[in-house]
Amino acid sequence: MSNTNRQIDSAMSPEDRPGRKPPFIHVAPSPHISDSRAGTRRMMVDVILGLSPAIAVSLYLFRFYALKQLIVCVAACLAAEYLFARMRGKYFTLKDCSAMVTGIILGLSMPGSAPWFVGALASVVGIGIGKIIFGGVGMNIFNPAMVGRAFVMIAFAQLMGAGAYENVTGLVDAVSGATPLSALKFNGVQTGIAPLFMGVTNGSVGEVSAIACILGGLYLIYRKTASWQIPASILITVALIAAITDIAGGYQGLFLLHHLFAGALMFGAFFIATDPVTSPLTAKGKMIFGVGTGCLIMVIRLFSGYPEGVMFAVLIMNAMTPLINRWTIPQPMGQREV
Amino acid sequence: MADQPTATERFVQGILPENPVYRQLLGLCATLAVTNGMKPALTMAVCVAFVLVCANVVISLIRNLLKPHLRIVVFTLTIATFVTVADRVLAAYMFQMSKTLGPYIPLIIVNCLIICRCEVCASKQNVVIAAADALGQSIGFGLALASIAAIREILGTGMLMGFRVLPSFWPDWVIMVLPPGAFITLGLLLGLVNYIDFKREQTRN
Amino acid sequence: MSLKNSNLVQAWLVLLLATLFGTALAGIQAKLGPVIEANKVKETMAKIPVLVLGEDLSAELAADNQSLTIKSRVIDVKKNGITKFYTVYDVWLPEGKMVGHVVKADGQGYADKIELLVGLDAQGKHITGLFVLDQKETPGLGAKIMEDAWRGQFKEKSTEKTLSVVKGGGAKEDEIDAISGATISSRSVTGIVNTTVANVASQLQVTDNPASNSKTPAVQTEDPGKNKEHS
Repeated sequence: MSNTNRQIDSAMSPEDRPGRKPPFIHVAPSPHISDSRAGTRRMMVDVILGLSPAIAVSLYLFRFYALKQLIVCVAACLAAEYLFARMRGKYFTLKDCSAMVTGIILGLSMPGSAPWFVGALASVVGIGIGKIIFGGVGMNIFNPAMVGRAFVMIAFAQLMGAGAYENVTGLVDAVSGATPLSALKFNGVQTGIAPLFMGVTNGSVGEVSAIACILGGLYLIYRKTASWQIPASILITVALIAAITDIAGGYQGLFLLHHLFAGALMFGAFFIATDPVTSPLTAKGKMIFGVGTGCLIMVIRLFSGYPEGVMFAVLIMNAMTPLINRWTIPQPMGQREV
Repeated sequence: MADQPTATERFVQGILPENPVYRQLLGLCATLAVTNGMKPALTMAVCVAFVLVCANVVISLIRNLLKPHLRIVVFTLTIATFVTVADRVLAAYMFQMSKTLGPYIPLIIVNCLIICRCEVCASKQNVVIAAADALGQSIGFGLALASIAAIREILGTGMLMGFRVLPSFWPDWVIMVLPPGAFITLGLLLGLVNYIDFKREQTRN
Repeated sequence: MSLKNSNLVQAWLVLLLATLFGTALAGIQAKLGPVIEANKVKETMAKIPVLVLGEDLSAELAADNQSLTIKSRVIDVKKNGITKFYTVYDVWLPEGKMVGHVVKADGQGYADKIELLVGLDAQGKHITGLFVLDQKETPGLGAKIMEDAWRGQFKEKSTEKTLSVVKGGGAKEDEIDAISGATISSRSVTGIVNTTVANVASQLQVTDNPASNSKTPAVQTEDPGKNKEHS
């Protein structure tokens, strides 16, 4: 919140709006700390700490496969960041760790079976087209990790889609087979809630354990690196829609819990949607953003050809963020409505 | 527009310095829609060239008889006629290609490249200049389409014009032959063209 | 200058151009129209021998310079108050024995409408082949419905039971193996085949002489351009 205030203060300085009669507030996308890199860096280190439970679970469950995805994505992200920043004539962007966070999130959102070039390409596209092309950290419209993932998801549908999780030979025995969401969608099979909660199911390497994501997410919220509004509103919206479907279909709560704990929902709500660059600035805006994301997730999960919708939901809402920011410009104190 | 352009100048200008896609950003609907393969892209380029040359020549011939308020009607009439000819010929002699291109051949009617050339060149210049201008613009359009189509087809299928150019272990980037690939490729190429232009400008100064 | 300012001249100019262009287009249509129609019919006709007889037999037939007798007719099926039309091609051997039928069917796929040709044997008991005329499924995934390996599964399937789609290989009788990663496309095609078979199979007449039920115009494979085909 302090970032927001600082931005508003600076925007209200007279030289920003010469000759304009009704004072207006220019709200720009965050983060607004441009004078010191330490701010971004502290946040990014927090995010890495927050992600550590999910990383630990993924390494325990998928072993070599998770390690491979993480190493490939982080290395490719750092290399891409270095390369593209050089092309733009800037050298210091590696130190703020944001590329590393993108790499970790991307690695955690990959299916364990994906070949190395999928992660590498996703990283290059995510950093290149998703971030640097817009002007680097703080300027991007879309979450870089999700841009990269969407690109490879469509490019290599066979290696990334529901099929990628099935018949994965060599993974830990307990976790081979279809992902819980695609099992539910395509074959009508319910996975037990306890394995979903703890994470002993199949899925993208980092998203399987709900408890790990919640622990890490709560740490982020405690450190105020992530705002509580976005995950809360996403989860509540998803729960509401799932509950309605649940009651209408007579699943006695199973459907609701299944949708809450399966797939990338927890991971997405706490780590992807909360990216301060691509989410709205104000508390009200964050609520709108979360509700919109939650609705889209459920619409995609229930009505589209994809079993999971977190990635596309976040990307669509990223595109809406500038609009939400315009809607929710806070009223300056003492200012009457124009 | 110079006051008295020569035919050669108009022809050369259209190919690169005033490239319809990269410099004027005209005809982007067709550019995005048919560049998922080299063959449809080239067919499209030929059709556009045919329509553009014919329309420019006809408009240039009757330019002295036209009142300004009637010109758009006559432009559209002329363009629509030649587009219909192209569409029918394609359906008769290249049936599969005509199915692949689907509605995009009839849509040449609303390709702003053609009406733009009719308006800014053919309705003001004599037949020779108008024809040279149309030819130059058509070649420029064809080059732009071919460049985008080559990148998309090679990355998306590992092939070019149906021949394999990349080794068979190449994982096809399916996204490149889908609509998002068109936007990404066009965007990156536009950026590249601007970058080269910017560098050129810098070295000149 | 005076020409340009006269409204009458302007009006006549537009009229003249319209007439001129109209006539030119009419001429082109008169010349090319039949060719285009022939192309459309040929596209379907070329597939029919393979669909009914299979690759080997139809190649043999072509080598002997013989052609099948093919007639098209339209079957209308009323279901839940909606009438659905199917174009059916009845196929006879040169000596007059009925060998099968080809039904043109369409339905919703993952991306867009899918158009199919379904080959059935003379009694409508078995599927003899499947061909995809038109589809816009995802390249590399759903578009695999075009491939021989997948389409071939429909051959020899009985029409008495509905086909179901299974995942991960090991399809048994009355089952079709889904294309991995494209369950929806696989299901769509199977669904279209099921509905078509259910609707049409009972209405196929078996007559060994092609001349006997000739209410609808005959279309010969040798000369496909003569008749307009309706779907």
